[in-house]
Amino acid sequence: MTDMTINKTIDARGSYCPGPLMELIKALNHESINSVVEVLSNDEGSAKDVPEWVAKAGHELVYIKKDGDFWRLAVRKKK
Amino acid sequence: MEQPKTFSIVLVSPDLEKLHASAIMGSGAAMAGMDVNIFVTMEALRAFLKKTIEQRSFVKSGIGATLLDKKVPLFYQLFQQAKELGKLHIYACAMSADIMGWKKEDMVDVIDDIIGVNKFFSLSMAGPIVTM
Repeated sequence: MTDMTINKTIDARGSYCPGPLMELIKALNHESINSVVEVLSNDEGSAKDVPEWVAKAGHELVYIKKDGDFWRLAVRKKK
Repeated sequence: MEQPKTFSIVLVSPDLEKLHASAIMGSGAAMAGMDVNIFVTMEALRAFLKKTIEQRSFVKSGIGATLLDKKVPLFYQLFQQAKELGKLHIYACAMSADIMGWKKEDMVDVIDDIIGVNKFFSLSMAGPIVTM
């Protein structure tokens, strides 16, 4: 993982679906192209739903990884 | 398969868990880029009254009580957030409002307008309509 600059991290742990996705979209709206936003979430649904949305919206899923009892999802804004 | 242009939900039931499910479905569709129309009719409209929300006097069954206990953002809050992220409109049924004497100012701000069923159909023709 080179040039892994995280521009913003959102801690959405404790938030239920679709909370983490909503937080991510809000954050992406405020970032510039190629910025990376990381979301922390312990919601099972969001771990499946966020990548689905990212692909559909045309952004890039940089990673999704389990970190203890939660996920870290990083998304690069592409447009 | 191509995504439909619109996704519409008719809310009839005041049951909190159905309202919550509709808010998740509706917000998901809005975030996916669909134009979402929510038509609130019959007893479901009572749940959108400021009075009901202030008193939290919702009809609860199943998971509804747990939603309240766990203090998750409720349907009207999810709808409000969805409006900020996509295209989602909520309409109160004119017939229900008229028969009950409810005015727009009696309803929470997420309600955009009071319309009739023909207007709703003209907004909803480009995609599926589900009833809850």
